[in-house]
Amino acid sequence: MANAITVSGLAKSYGGVQAVRGVSFTVGRGEIFALLGPNGAGKTTTLEILEGFRGRDGGQADVLGLDPGDRATGRALRERIGLVLQDIAVEPYLTVRETIARNAGYYPAPRGVDEVITLVGLAGQERTKVRNLSGGRKRRLDLGLGLIGDPELLFLDEPTTGFDPAARRDAWQLVRSLRDSGTTILLTTHYMEEAQALADRVAVLSDGQVVAQGTLADIGGRAAAQTQIRFALPRGCVAADLPAWARPGVGPAAGPEAGDLVAVAVSEPTRALHELTTWALDRGLVLDRLTVEPPSLEDVYLRLTGPGRAATTGGTRAGGRRAGRKRAGERTMT
Amino acid sequence: MRPTTGQARRGDLALLWHQVRYEQLSFWRNPQSAFFTFVFPVVIITLFGALFHGVGRSSYFFGLSALQYYVPTIAAVSVLGACYSQLAIVLSTRRQNGILKRIRATPLPAWTYFLGLLAHCIVVSVVDIALIVGVGRLFGVPLPTHWAAIAVALVLGAACFCALGVAVASLIRNAEAAPAVVQLVLFPLVFISGTYLPIHSQVIQRITGILPVRPFNEALMGPFAQHTGFDWSALGVLLAWGVAGGLIAVRRFRWDPRAG
Repeated sequence: MANAITVSGLAKSYGGVQAVRGVSFTVGRGEIFALLGPNGAGKTTTLEILEGFRGRDGGQADVLGLDPGDRATGRALRERIGLVLQDIAVEPYLTVRETIARNAGYYPAPRGVDEVITLVGLAGQERTKVRNLSGGRKRRLDLGLGLIGDPELLFLDEPTTGFDPAARRDAWQLVRSLRDSGTTILLTTHYMEEAQALADRVAVLSDGQVVAQGTLADIGGRAAAQTQIRFALPRGCVAADLPAWARPGVGPAAGPEAGDLVAVAVSEPTRALHELTTWALDRGLVLDRLTVEPPSLEDVYLRLTGPGRAATTGGTRAGGRRAGRKRAGERTMT
Repeated sequence: MRPTTGQARRGDLALLWHQVRYEQLSFWRNPQSAFFTFVFPVVIITLFGALFHGVGRSSYFFGLSALQYYVPTIAAVSVLGACYSQLAIVLSTRRQNGILKRIRATPLPAWTYFLGLLAHCIVVSVVDIALIVGVGRLFGVPLPTHWAAIAVALVLGAACFCALGVAVASLIRNAEAAPAVVQLVLFPLVFISGTYLPIHSQVIQRITGILPVRPFNEALMGPFAQHTGFDWSALGVLLAWGVAGGLIAVRRFRWDPRAG
């Protein structure tokens, strides 16, 4: 079956700034696909081109078999897609039910108004005026507006920003159930756990380019990446006492003081851990704060979007780059 | 996979009616818009009624009684409020809040959205004019007889001032500035167009004759008070302004708060 979305070589500039340069990816039918990346990476611009809000300067885009840049088929496309934008935007003086019912009238085959209200968890609030809803409830209403047309394809632009943990869990559950009923979903997020919880496949954007894409299991060489082992350097030991492979893991400030954290990346964690614990037991030492971690998606993400990433293109969105660098810096131990 | 074709779209008229209904709901529930659109002109005509109901026909009011003059001019200014001021403010606020972008994300065609707004504004204008004519009647102003000419002037005037309202909303970015910009243009124009005081200066008349407000006053004044029917030259000027406003709106209107 044809893909829901096929994008190749997408490009868009604002003034002299290239916001999107050569983005390519495909989203299969019935799939949840996440665009990840720091602020300013080009996620929203990419989304808005696919939604038909923005023109593109170059490249191809195919959404449900239509060109989103073609005004003649714009209405036909919008009848088949649903959108949840970043900002909440709902008429203040209508009730919840009226808001949903109004938009239902715009679609040829909408879902039931009450069904959607229940789906987004607003049952019992039907007669409440929108202006009296809390921010979280307005956001649910906004999601309801994205669903009312019974879309084949749903765009979610940072759908859970500002949600409390319980509301986020509910929203994720809803997104999964939509996927299970056949809806294709393209979402943007900068929450790693959101991509981890929802996405079948992801593409990581940085500086307007896709720096990695694939399934969550193997993105950015995650499957082949190394496991992190961390432990406190035992009292009275120096780097030279450690097994040879662990010696480079001692931080530059490490000396004979106890408690220095050793962090080392290994490709054979089973063997390494065995050697390490044998070494400690033989000497009657205790390894405080011992942890073994597979590379998290966040590590991969920060490596891909941070300063040390392989593609060294000039930074056009300095703000986004700097934010990524700072977060990366906080975590760098090796 | 679910079926994607074969479902019938609503007819254009049904969709337009749907849209007008919800515009009406939004409007009548907003105390601010209802206040400025209705209370202000009704208070003014009541005030003028109390002040001038004894003032008979005079050359100062171009051969009309004071209230025969003021009922059509205040009716006209109420239409300006319902169409021009309302639309300029509502649309710039909706754009800034992202509501317009949200509408653009639905299959609702743009022309249906704007035609819905126009129909909504005409409904509000009709209510406004009925109220003002009613108050005038209480002060002894005879009811107008040439309703066809009033209807044509009303619809054309409403369309013209709606187009100008959308044009202004297209030219201003900031919703907070909208009321000030709207009033800055409107107040002096209304004043020199003779809405609140008859203007006898030939020079000013010549200038205001080609601006939109005085022709609208004239187009209403004829059938309201002088029983002269259609004022084609005034209607022509309104049409020209409506087309100009429409062209600016079509070229410059933006749905997206951030679009450059």
